[in-house]
Amino acid sequence: MKKIILFLMIIVSVFFVLSCGNNTKKQAGSSESLLDTISRRGVIKVGLSTFVPWAMNDKNGNLIGFEVDVAKRLASDMGVDIELIPTKWSGIIPALLTGKFDVIIGGMGIRPDRNLKVNFSIPYEYSGLSIAANKEKASGFSTLEDFNKKDIIIATRIGSTGASVAEKLLPLATLKLFDDESQVIQELLSGRAHALIASAPMPAYQVIKNSEKLFMPFEGTFTKEPIGFALKKGDYDLVNYFNNWITVVDAEGWLAERNHYWFETREWENLVQ
Amino acid sequence: MKRHNYLLDIIIVLIVVLAAFIGFFRIKNGFSYHWNWGSIPQFFFKTDGTGHISANLLVLGFLTTIKLSIWAFTAALFIGTVMGVLRTRENLFARMIGRTYIEIARNTPPLVLIFIFYFFIGNNIIAALGIDNWARGLHGSGRSIISFLFTKPERFSEFLSAVFTLAVYEGAYITEIVRGGLESIPKGQFEGANALGINFLDKYRFVILPQVFRKVLPSLTGQSISTIKDSSIVSIISIQELTFQGMQIMASTYMVFEIWITITVMYFILTFSLSTLANFVEGKLIRN
Repeated sequence: MKKIILFLMIIVSVFFVLSCGNNTKKQAGSSESLLDTISRRGVIKVGLSTFVPWAMNDKNGNLIGFEVDVAKRLASDMGVDIELIPTKWSGIIPALLTGKFDVIIGGMGIRPDRNLKVNFSIPYEYSGLSIAANKEKASGFSTLEDFNKKDIIIATRIGSTGASVAEKLLPLATLKLFDDESQVIQELLSGRAHALIASAPMPAYQVIKNSEKLFMPFEGTFTKEPIGFALKKGDYDLVNYFNNWITVVDAEGWLAERNHYWFETREWENLVQ
Repeated sequence: MKRHNYLLDIIIVLIVVLAAFIGFFRIKNGFSYHWNWGSIPQFFFKTDGTGHISANLLVLGFLTTIKLSIWAFTAALFIGTVMGVLRTRENLFARMIGRTYIEIARNTPPLVLIFIFYFFIGNNIIAALGIDNWARGLHGSGRSIISFLFTKPERFSEFLSAVFTLAVYEGAYITEIVRGGLESIPKGQFEGANALGINFLDKYRFVILPQVFRKVLPSLTGQSISTIKDSSIVSIISIQELTFQGMQIMASTYMVFEIWITITVMYFILTFSLSTLANFVEGKLIRN
């Protein structure tokens, strides 16, 4: 009995050491670019997070949105199939780092602090934050400074640019962080928060949809944020490919056309509900 | 005596109805929300242009929840039986293994356990075994078998880490259930089996464990219901089960309450039918 247990333990520990060694070897000797891996596999795995109108489910359960168009075009230009992996926003960077997918095309803002952990391509899109407020709780507010008070509650999405910008620009206000945008909106509608901060155009759409409850304290966005593809550190071939791909489709005017369709029209709305 | 009971019943029913009315009234008026139940059915089944009907996100998520729970519970039952036997051995080393396992698994939050397994252990072990490439390389019938029994081959390795994590977590509770069952078996049964000269495995397989399982069946069905409920936690590692699919739809349509209520009802139907079945089986066992 004891011998059997000892034997099993040796097997398990040898296996564990082997699997660890295998893994470090892969990381250290990253001579093969992910670009080759993707073409050999025939599939590019793209991580994204549901986020209207960047990526969302349509009535048939398929993913649609600006990011989905970008990812699909990227895959077809690379000559590979696409695999879209919807992931929770709060876990999207750890999932990229542990290789659950090759690249995040998920409306991720290029930020220096994020850049310490992942590499970014050049921006393929610019986004900005805007603010929607509750009519009853924030009546008369018209500038960003109005929200910088001690008893003001701002709802925003955890780990988003909105959260870090709000911390910087509205240091006195209290932040309430949520995992999903739907929770952020619900918090504002029910009057438990004074305002929400999110990437345009969501706040403006919510104001149109709930005009009796919400209003825009001021029009337009108050930040400008570059959006890029995020990928693991150390793979320059892949970054180079993505950068040039973005330059090419931007020069074609394709990005601007898709941007117009998803962000400036609402033609896609009846696809969703 | 009887009349008093009736009176109490009527009062309780009235209170419940009144509370429901107040709740409903609050939801209707005090609560700013546009109810949109009309959009819900399309998330169960979709029809394409030709009138062909197929399952949509909610039904797919529901099926994934069922498959996930079945596999996790089966694995947990195996882990729990082995560890439960180890817990009751004379051998100190065996008891220590069992004790260490259940103390670690029971005294960590399942959420933390899931993250650790998914990002560290699942990542190393499953990558080393090459399961992901194997599943991707499948064709034809291999693909459909994996899809039917587990999930899409592309998601197979994530599914496995979810099953494994849930099994480790639930297995700890099953270990204690099995241990309780083993300790209730009279010593004479072990001695009798030893006297017959049958080997260690046969002793448990034919003599001890059948008696144990008859005794612990009610607790085990309770644990299987827990497994179904706990399976919703794996939505955080983006396993596409019922809760995850529901949250995806919420993020797309902002229909927060309709979807949560629908999901609650779906979980309830699943677990309630299971507990009804368990009651039925238990009744049969007692009569036998």
